[in-house]
Amino acid sequence: MTLWSCIRSWLVSAFRRPRMEGEMDSELRFHIESYAEDLARGGVPREEAMRRARMEFGGIENVKEEAREARGLSLFDTLQQDFRFGLRMLRRSPGFTAVAVLTLALGIGANTAIFSVVYGVLLDPLPYQDAGRLVLLNETTPKVGVVSVSYPNFLDWRSQSREFSEMAAVHGASFNLAGVAQPETVNGGAVSPNFLSVLGVRPFLGRDFDATEEKAGAAPVILLSYSLWQTHFGADPNAVGRTIMLDGRGYTIIGVLPANFRWPDKTDVLEPIGVWATQGSGATERGERGDMVVLARLAASASLPQACSEMEGIAARLAKEYPASNDQFGVALQPIREAFVNDMRPAILSLFGAVMFVLLIACANVANLLLVRGAGRTREIALRIALGATRGRVIRQMVTESCLLALLGGALGLFLAFAGIRGMTRLLPMGMLSGATVELNGVVLFFAVVMVAVAAFIFGVAPAVRSTKPDVQMHLKEGGAAAGTGVAQNRLRGAFVVAELALSLILLAGAGLMMKSLHLLLSVSPGFEPARVLTMEMDLRTAQYDKDPAIRNFWQQVLDRVSGLPGVQSAAVGTVVPLTDNHSRGDITIEGMPLPKPGSFPHPDIHIVSAGYISTLGMPLLRGRTFTETDNETAPQVAMINAMLARQFFPNGDAVGKRFMFGHPSATNAPQWLNIVGVVGDTKLYGLANAARLEVYVPFRQSPPSHMNLLVKSGVDPVALTSAIRGAVASVDKDQPVFAISTMSQLVSDSVSTRTFTLILLGLFSGLALVLAAIGIYGVISYSVAQRTRDIGIRMALGASRSDVLRDVLGLGARLTAIGLALGLAGALAATRVLSSLLYGVRSTDAITFTAVSLLLMAVALFASYLPARRATRVDPMVALRYE
Amino acid sequence: MDKQLDLLQGTLDMLILKAVSLGPLHGYGVLLRIQQISKDRLEIQQGSLYPALYRLEHQGWITSEWGESENKRKAKYYRLTAAGKRRLQAETENWNRMADVIAGILGAKPEEI
Repeated sequence: MTLWSCIRSWLVSAFRRPRMEGEMDSELRFHIESYAEDLARGGVPREEAMRRARMEFGGIENVKEEAREARGLSLFDTLQQDFRFGLRMLRRSPGFTAVAVLTLALGIGANTAIFSVVYGVLLDPLPYQDAGRLVLLNETTPKVGVVSVSYPNFLDWRSQSREFSEMAAVHGASFNLAGVAQPETVNGGAVSPNFLSVLGVRPFLGRDFDATEEKAGAAPVILLSYSLWQTHFGADPNAVGRTIMLDGRGYTIIGVLPANFRWPDKTDVLEPIGVWATQGSGATERGERGDMVVLARLAASASLPQACSEMEGIAARLAKEYPASNDQFGVALQPIREAFVNDMRPAILSLFGAVMFVLLIACANVANLLLVRGAGRTREIALRIALGATRGRVIRQMVTESCLLALLGGALGLFLAFAGIRGMTRLLPMGMLSGATVELNGVVLFFAVVMVAVAAFIFGVAPAVRSTKPDVQMHLKEGGAAAGTGVAQNRLRGAFVVAELALSLILLAGAGLMMKSLHLLLSVSPGFEPARVLTMEMDLRTAQYDKDPAIRNFWQQVLDRVSGLPGVQSAAVGTVVPLTDNHSRGDITIEGMPLPKPGSFPHPDIHIVSAGYISTLGMPLLRGRTFTETDNETAPQVAMINAMLARQFFPNGDAVGKRFMFGHPSATNAPQWLNIVGVVGDTKLYGLANAARLEVYVPFRQSPPSHMNLLVKSGVDPVALTSAIRGAVASVDKDQPVFAISTMSQLVSDSVSTRTFTLILLGLFSGLALVLAAIGIYGVISYSVAQRTRDIGIRMALGASRSDVLRDVLGLGARLTAIGLALGLAGALAATRVLSSLLYGVRSTDAITFTAVSLLLMAVALFASYLPARRATRVDPMVALRYE
Repeated sequence: MDKQLDLLQGTLDMLILKAVSLGPLHGYGVLLRIQQISKDRLEIQQGSLYPALYRLEHQGWITSEWGESENKRKAKYYRLTAAGKRRLQAETENWNRMADVIAGILGAKPEEI
């Protein structure tokens, strides 16, 4: 009852304001007039009666205000009042407002933009049922690290594990889609039939795979991705049941995946693993680790560590049982989220920390501005308190102003964030985000609102509390000029500046370390000359290429025609281009070497290349010769090895002329020896930051592969040759798709893109921080000079020299800078550790970087203090003394 | 006329409740009735009456409606609600108990202790 009447009266007062006010007016008027009438009846003259009635009633506005408060509408009211008042105050000082809003907009905008990445990559729920219990499994070997899973091993894992309720194998697959305008490659996976149900995903149209489709010999059926269905079938619901030609073979479309389907690798189509197993793809070879990953769902009672130890046990048993293929192989488990995050996590978290610092610095700057402004407003505040406003009321008014500033800053910040997000997504290579959407969505907007509130609180409360300290009431007597000279005020401002300098130093140190490591990284030689080399992939998948001569013939014709194009210096084909994700490795046996355990054979990367490969990539030939056109199918088998393999296995420099074979020696087959004819330089196959590995090269005519990269070195910009090369390929086979077109220089820069991305943003943020900190210290020193104008004037009149004054003022700047530097260095030593995994060639505590950024910050801070200090030396003593 | 007393802190609400319990009154009428019953011995700030009325209405002890006054003018009349009635009863008991206790303390003589 009472609660209800409260709410009702509050609602009434909130929504029926004008009427309430009118009623209150007439009620009070009635009172006064009735009283006046009574007085008049008692003989008081009419005019006099009215005057007395009003006087005895008391201040009518006061009564109204109290009455409003009694009714509980004060909150609404004052908020509205404060808002209007705040807007008026901000409009009256446009300079202050502009600087504060812009500063906050930069801070909030940067935060929102980075948070959109944090959310999109790290937090956005994956479109699976209970995604937290999904795990990806790979095999591991000490020689390489994480490798693919062999299908027979997967079958054993599935039958032996208890900690997983379900397991599904996913083998990478690609298909040539012909019969469209330009032949293209579609990617996807060959999956166990339960793949979608393990994920908890149902097809958007049509049916899921069924259990019988696991067996080799299954009929070719396919699930389309939503986007492939849209682009190639015009979103036709009757597409299900139709046939699509992939690799020259008809696949029946059984369904369409939902629009929000995501998988770490690009997925245009899914086929049942039985279809893949039919094609003699090594499904029965335990030693064949093609491109398979295993998806598993943790059982209800299981945990990841339990599952880890169970899988280790299973792997150890398999290694003992099948040493030839499994010796030293283990299992790696990874929550599925990690597969989507790639190596982005440390970069994203570092950047998120950095923008938080930027926002803090922005807040400190605005707090300082407010303090200075608060000092200027001391008289106004003291007056309001003297006139009966409570301190809380004045604080509330000032906090409302801060909120207004933060809101304006937030609104502008959203625009900056919108632009920033577009810029960032352009900076990142598409594959890096694994289909994550980075955008201004509801969650990101909510975050921005929270940031606005937090910012308003951080920069608003301290100055408000400080400016309304009871001692300010003294200033009413002292007069305005002395206001805000309090030691405590200056100390608070100093503290803000010190904090800004310290935070800036941390950011500068991070940016400096990133810059140094990227510089070191990019000066690492990749082992080849990336300039003016174009690369593109082709995969011969149709039935016409199932015999070696046809494959040889295709590549040879492509090479001949492309070499003849104007502008082409040389052309080559090779199976593995450095710095891409494609790898092919195998064990080798060197003639005469003592035979190790099965898991300890040399395990080089294998390149199958044409004669011009080494020269096209500009790799150094260290010994012997490169391949020639005569190293063909009829000639003796030859190979080249890289410097590392030569060093490790032929330490006397006599590799050329020695022999090795692929695989392990067997009792049944005669060894097929390859003659080593040359030694070439190492390449950074696995990224610039990673060590080189063993490599061998064999001529493509002696073992022709269907999937290769075409490399073209040109005298001009290689991208200009793209369409001519496409034309040359089409003239050999018009249905052959060409994909993954890129320059080698692009591959090199893509391989460090996470670092570049981090460096660019960190550099931007630390630059911003430095500017804000400089503005901060400039403001504080300027203000202190302005306060002490008279002081300085007197000193100069008494004979102090300009340099005395300069030293004195600079001293303040230097003190603040020194404290800021000390705190910043301590903070940076701790904070840069999070960057460790992104650094290359420098430690996170690199002394040179720390010294350099300290000097930079010191120079900027002292320069920012010098400007107002110089002004101080120009003080005319006479003017200063007359100043008040 | 006796010297006027200042109202004790917090008693105005109780007096208003009592005044309107005797019949609906407009604001000025409340003032007059309290003065009449107290025989003008209480000094009431006229202005303070209205915040108190609004507070009581906000709390649901009294309600108001517009009516016509003795001098044929529109006036807002206040009336006690059922909750207000209970409230008044409770406050009255409280007050009496308090007054007893205070009077007892103030009237204590040395020999009684």
